[in-house]
Formats: sequence, C-alpha cells, structure tokens
Amino acid sequence: MTIRVDPENNETRALLELVDFDGQRVLEIGCGDGRLTWRYAGKAKHVTAIDPFAEAITRAKENIPDKLKDRVDFRHIAFEKFAAESKPSTFDRVILSWSL
Amino acid sequence: MVHALQEIQRMLKPDGCLIDIHPVLEAPLIKVYQGSRILFVEPDLGYDYEEDLRQAENALTQVLDRRLFVIERSSEFELITYASSVPELRDFWAKVGGYDDSPKDQAVEARLTELYDGVEEIRRAAGKKAEVAYHERARITRLNPNARKEEPR
Repeated sequence: MTIRVDPENNETRALLELVDFDGQRVLEIGCGDGRLTWRYAGKAKHVTAIDPFAEAITRAKENIPDKLKDRVDFRHIAFEKFAAESKPSTFDRVILSWSL
Repeated sequence: MVHALQEIQRMLKPDGCLIDIHPVLEAPLIKVYQGSRILFVEPDLGYDYEEDLRQAENALTQVLDRRLFVIERSSEFELITYASSVPELRDFWAKVGGYDDSPKDQAVEARLTELYDGVEEIRRAAGKKAEVAYHERARITRLNPNARKEEPR
C-alpha cells in the first residue's frame, strides 16, 4: 500500500465550495509536495506554489502532471523572501495551506 | 504572523481573496481499520502544536480587528491520511516536512513510542488488510481584503 491522503476529497470539496479558481492567478503558501495543488491547478490561469522545505518541493517537481507543467511554478523559498520580491496586487487567490 | 498577513494583503488584488486552512484546536486521532471496522482509536499524544495554533488564531483576530481582512465564509472538514504502517506514515511526514522532530519531553516521547508500538501491534495482528489512518480536523476560511486603508493606531 502507498500513502493515501484525503482519498475522500474532503479538503478539495471544502476548498472548491469556498472559492472559484477559473482563470485566476494563485499563490499557494506551504504547498508541500503539491498534494493540494494538483486538485485545483487545472482550473487556474497560473499557480505559484512555495514551500521552505526543499525535499517537499523536489517531490512536487518530480510528480507534476505533464498537463500542469506550464501552469504551475514550484519554488523552494521562504515566504518572507518571496514577499520581499513580489509586486503589490499580483494574485487573485492566496492559499495559506496548513502554514499560518 | 501578523506581518505575513499584511504582506499577503499587499500581494492580493483588491477583489481577490485569502483562503486559510489550518488545524482546529484538538488532537488528531490515530486509528487502525480493517476494512470498515475500527480496531483502535486514540488521540495522537504527539500533538504539541496547540500554542502555535493559538498564535495563528491570535494573528487572524488581530488582522480582523485592524480591518485588513473580513471573513466571508468558514467551514470545517476532516483530512484523513492512510498508511500501511506507522513507520510508513512517519516516513511520509518526514518527506513532506510535516513531521515535528524537535525534542519532546521524555515522558511525552515515551508515551508516544508506546502508542505507536501499540498501534503497530494491533495492525500486524489484524493482518494484511489492516491499515493505519490519521484523522485531522481543519478549518478553512475565506477572507476578503478590506478596501479601507488601515487606520492609524
């Protein structure tokens, strides 16, 4: 058996009931290995997904589905550094994913 | 944390929104299933991030009080992670950065080891179809940036 995270899709359902991602520019903070990212990125215009944990980002980049490769940008970076280099009013959606 | 939320507000478009997902203030449950039968259930004794969660809640309260954001909607859900064993679960957490390996109180560490050993014993005795499940309750909240500029304090 391999690890299965949220096979019931409880998290995805709660997320999609709360927000629409169609054509939106998204920032996901604390994306980990991309577990949640895969579940909404297909709807978004572009996703920037960041995490300070290098091994998780490596896994995310290894496992990214081909159809999302030009849409999702995984970055190994701390939030403070990312914020310092980001312009105002850039994103339509920001997800704080288990990371506040 | 308040500064991080201020930065998020700056990066958000005025008509954008912030989605915050974080665990609720209660210990996750560790269970052993055999099919739909629950063979074991106990709170995770390694749950020691209550203070972090209180700080997160406090930061959210502060930005709401300062009218940086307004809550539009909120709900709760349960995230369940299934594994074939406790070691597999812990190995997974280590790989995704979800495992807190900071030193714990010796008594807590001993109780944790006892719990995980007990879970493994029950799982092994139940045979191949048994699996371990980790149940975490979380709150998801949609916050909209407030168009008003922050008032001087």
